[in-house]
Amino acid sequence: MTERTLSHRQRAATLLPVSLLLLVLLPLLLMPLAAIYIFAGSGGWQTFVTSLSQPDAQFSLRFSLLIAFSTALLNAVLGTFAAYVLSKYRFRGREALSVIVNLPVAIPTVVVGTSLLLLWGPIGLLGKFLDPLGIQPMFAPAGVLLAHLFVTFPYMLGAVKPVLDELEVTYEEAAYTIGASRWQTFRFVLLPALRGGLFSGTLLTFAHSLGEFGATVLVSGNLRLRTQTAPLYIFAQFEAGNIEAANAVAAVLATLSFTLFFILLRMTQQPRRSAE
Amino acid sequence: MSIVLTDLTKWFDNNLVVNKVSLEVTDGELFVLLGGSGSGKSTILRLIAGLSIPSSGRIELNGRDVTFLPVQSRGVGFVFQNYSVFRHMTVGENIEFGLRIRKAHLKERRQRTEELLDLVGLAGLGARYAHQLSGGQQQRVALARALAYYPDVLLLDEPFGALDVKIRAQLRTSLKEIQRQLHVTTILVTHDQEEAFELADRIGVIERGHLIEVGAPQELYHHPCSEYVATFVGGGNVLIGREEQGFIRLGDARLPFPPGAPVHDPGSPVRILFRPETVSIQTEPFSEAQKIHILSQGQIVKRIFTGSSQRVLLEVENLEGMRPLASRPEYGQRVTHIEALQPSDASNALDRAWEPGSKLWIGLKQFHVLEPVSLKVLISSESAFTQESAAQFGCQVARTAGGNATVVSVVNSAAEAARRREDLETLRQSWISDLPHLETRVRQGDFNTEIVHEVQEGHYELVVLESHKGGLMPSSLGQQSTVRRLLAASEAAVLLVRKPHPRLERLLICTATGEPGKSDVLFGARIARRANIPTTVFHVLSPQASPVDRRRVERHLSQAQISLNGMGVENTIKIAEGPVMETIVGEIERGGYDLVVIGAPNLFISRPISRPDLAAQIINHAERPVLIVPMIQ
Amino acid sequence: MRSLQINWYSLLKRAFLWSIFLGLGLYAAWPWLPGVGAKHPRAIVVYGFSILGEVMNQGIFPAFQAEWLARSGEKIEFVSSFSGSGTITNQIILGVPAQVAILSLELDALRLVDNHVLAGPTWHDLPYEGVLNRTPFIILVRSDNPKGIASFADLAQPGVEVVHPDPLTSGGAQWAILAEYGSVTLNGGSPEEAYAQLLGIWRNVVAQASSARAARTQFENGFGDALITYEQEAVWDLGRGKLNALIVYPESTILGEHTVVMIDKNISPAERDLVEAFVEFLWSETAQRIFVEYGFRSVDETLNAANPNFGVIAKPFTVKDLGGWVNARDEIINAIWKQKVLPEVGR
Repeated sequence: MTERTLSHRQRAATLLPVSLLLLVLLPLLLMPLAAIYIFAGSGGWQTFVTSLSQPDAQFSLRFSLLIAFSTALLNAVLGTFAAYVLSKYRFRGREALSVIVNLPVAIPTVVVGTSLLLLWGPIGLLGKFLDPLGIQPMFAPAGVLLAHLFVTFPYMLGAVKPVLDELEVTYEEAAYTIGASRWQTFRFVLLPALRGGLFSGTLLTFAHSLGEFGATVLVSGNLRLRTQTAPLYIFAQFEAGNIEAANAVAAVLATLSFTLFFILLRMTQQPRRSAE
Repeated sequence: MSIVLTDLTKWFDNNLVVNKVSLEVTDGELFVLLGGSGSGKSTILRLIAGLSIPSSGRIELNGRDVTFLPVQSRGVGFVFQNYSVFRHMTVGENIEFGLRIRKAHLKERRQRTEELLDLVGLAGLGARYAHQLSGGQQQRVALARALAYYPDVLLLDEPFGALDVKIRAQLRTSLKEIQRQLHVTTILVTHDQEEAFELADRIGVIERGHLIEVGAPQELYHHPCSEYVATFVGGGNVLIGREEQGFIRLGDARLPFPPGAPVHDPGSPVRILFRPETVSIQTEPFSEAQKIHILSQGQIVKRIFTGSSQRVLLEVENLEGMRPLASRPEYGQRVTHIEALQPSDASNALDRAWEPGSKLWIGLKQFHVLEPVSLKVLISSESAFTQESAAQFGCQVARTAGGNATVVSVVNSAAEAARRREDLETLRQSWISDLPHLETRVRQGDFNTEIVHEVQEGHYELVVLESHKGGLMPSSLGQQSTVRRLLAASEAAVLLVRKPHPRLERLLICTATGEPGKSDVLFGARIARRANIPTTVFHVLSPQASPVDRRRVERHLSQAQISLNGMGVENTIKIAEGPVMETIVGEIERGGYDLVVIGAPNLFISRPISRPDLAAQIINHAERPVLIVPMIQ
Repeated sequence: MRSLQINWYSLLKRAFLWSIFLGLGLYAAWPWLPGVGAKHPRAIVVYGFSILGEVMNQGIFPAFQAEWLARSGEKIEFVSSFSGSGTITNQIILGVPAQVAILSLELDALRLVDNHVLAGPTWHDLPYEGVLNRTPFIILVRSDNPKGIASFADLAQPGVEVVHPDPLTSGGAQWAILAEYGSVTLNGGSPEEAYAQLLGIWRNVVAQASSARAARTQFENGFGDALITYEQEAVWDLGRGKLNALIVYPESTILGEHTVVMIDKNISPAERDLVEAFVEFLWSETAQRIFVEYGFRSVDETLNAANPNFGVIAKPFTVKDLGGWVNARDEIINAIWKQKVLPEVGR
């Protein structure tokens, strides 16, 4: 009898905070997300498919994915390299560099876009000299890629560097004494240890790139069929009042992001479980 | 010879971590490097493996010069304290990693892995991951991994340091068996004496980067040459007595030199080592028949029961001419402590009599005489020697202190170096009768840096500098002066000489600066004892001093007197009142002292003092050599 | 045995993951894969102000593509971006590769000259001095007009909520300011009265969007009682039966004139013939009829009868009546709106 009341009370004790949390989360996170799907489906399946099969919608999705793939791939290499240097080498200014490298998280993406324009744009500091040569990275896919690399760089670094930091120096040294070259050590000893971090970093980068807006809107020139990414397409269509078109792409983008997030979650939980 | 190290030296920034280590390890030997933390033992191992590059010196493995070879091509097996087993590989993959790198065939790899798993006692665990193994098992994997590719030498860096006692003992036994079986030349680094004694064919004791002594375990334990080894290896009692007509005078006791003991000069200090287990204690005096060297009478302070044996701490009244070294007495303390180890025999008739406080006779079954040492002196010589006060006075001090001296010159160019070498040779010749072992050295580079390096490398205890080279301005010592640097970078005392001073007959120890010093008194006393000259300990009280201050100073000075008496130094204690500088200079003039000793309080080293510095003033006013002794707590 | 099962499971999982990624990658890269799709056709890059989106994408571009195909047998492509007139002007100044720009107002074209994008007022060489079409500014109110709004003056009444595009980025907004001010001064009102009306309207602004199109979206999403916008917006929807608001024609309002600009530095010699043909086409009867169909008033007044939804404006005026664009900008937008009204509203 007492046992039952106790468990009852216990259940009530957990119920309260959980329902409170749900109450907060519902309007904050869940309902807006649901709205996207509800609106996307409101016009019926046919409207959804038509909206999605518009050439510019298709383009924006493909372009976004391509940019996200390239960003993730490039940043996996760059970020790992940066993490390796920052973690394994001791040099003057290392601390400062660590801060600088993480700066893109702190500055608004719109500022990133502006700064890129002011550097590479036709009237920018460097672009000024490139423009006459016919090299124009801004308002072109290259500019979008550049902006995305810049904005997502810290995520890759943040995923990889702690893993590297945690590895004792002797871990590498052990490989050296065994006879492994620097490359072999990296390939067979460090990289496998980094796998988890690398994977989650890549996914994070990918997801961020897929959703990037602030910097992209400035550096892309927002050209349909040329540089318009999916988020830009959504925004443009929404502003123009084509809510169905906007929502169709938004729903696809949201689904993609959910999937990625889900995989990320599973992946980060897996090694912990097997380690137990 | 499997491993030959020649003058191996390693600097980290401005710290000398490995100091001219030379060592030969024979094929199949298990050599243990024993030393405290920060002694540089691990660095030596890393240098051999190639994980670190030596500043100078040479490393040979199996007759091959590998000094500048990359790690990968040295063919060493290395085991780290923290195992460093690759986490994402199975035990088997870990072990065969070396063979995989060497592109061995799969079949060979598998076979070798099985073999090694068997050898280290992990048969059947090849498919596990590191996180499924205990620490001891992981270290076994690390060992197997390091052995897989038949390395020329096996290097183990505190391999058992992270394990608990029981596992440690098991692993030790395994290691010893495996090493014997494979006959692989091995160097093991540890701070654990027990481990060293149990495993080693030979032990090398290392302190502050210096390989002090090498020898078989028994040899090092019973017959060490140096004081450091005597006190570091096993618990040991070291007492200092004095040579007296072919005997060793230790207080009232007179001990014969054991056969094979090093020769000592008449009247020179003699250091004897005896282990706690060789100490005999009984209630009645020893008889002739017992063949025991009678040491003294003392009383029990403490008895500690440790199971199979009991440690007995004895207190002996500090007798004239005897000084304990191993368990240094508190400053100003009269008593000497001696540790004895006795079997804990319940039926021992003496047992009841051995309560703390009971008086006993203390005797030694055997003892060992350490090599005589003298003060190591470095003399800086910067100009032609004949006019030079520093070098001449320095040689005089060095002779008094026992003749262990080096003259160094720092020059700017190679041409100058050749000239200085000649000058130094002339100097050496002129002192050859008094200082037969005088060494000379010429270094090229910045004066301050080179002097500091020389002092650190040579473990000098006393550095003689000419005062203008010492950076002495007319009124104070500059922040960047050589003196400051030396005091900051080493524990050596600095002797500043301004004018030639012909003799060394009276010593003044000023305790006025800062806190009443202890190390200045002791260091001064060492010189005074060796030179056999009278010493005055002098303190200037400021006129505003309170009665409390006065009592404190008096207490300090009487403690100083006890210590001086204990060392057999004729001494006088003086307290004066007045302005510090003038009073000291006045005393120097009046007393006709030849050497003034002052302590360097910590603030002297770390920051400039507002008032003009005392040392500088004494030098400038009294024109006597001044010895600045760093305060060592 | 157990380890074997685990291997299968993880293998499957890995294969699944990889196939997802490969599939996505394949989908994304499909049009660019070799052998897929035709060679890239020539393209004209057109930047236009916001409300042009539909008429260009659905009307003008397909019409020109068809005509060009008929004329030369070449398939061409349009690459376009539609945004606030100020926004696209800024983008062009920063260097987007626009070849043809259709700006809401000549003022933005003048900014291109100031920033050395154009050598001079080159659009004056085009037909009608570069004016492509016209749109008067009207007031859009909720279907039943609950606040009884009939004029700009009514918008200045307390309690009326006005949605207005942002003059910083929207050309339409600048036109609107001129309409709100000029409708007083050009009809016998004093500058003080005009200022009072402007201030009154701006006190009532509850939402500012970056373009006229965005302002319209805001209004449709339920913001405000009234929207000042291009007649085209309303007429086009009215024609399609999609207008769920009421058009209020003020007695006097401005006729917005939209300017076409060719940006010579972005036109390579290989594309010049195509771009010039397109610009010429814009004033062709075909094109002008399309504009009328989509609710723009043609420069050729005779064509306007084709759209029955155009309302009557008693006293229309143009920017020329206000002394030309430079004058209107300095005297009205800068001196009055920016320096007096804005600070007053912000207070």
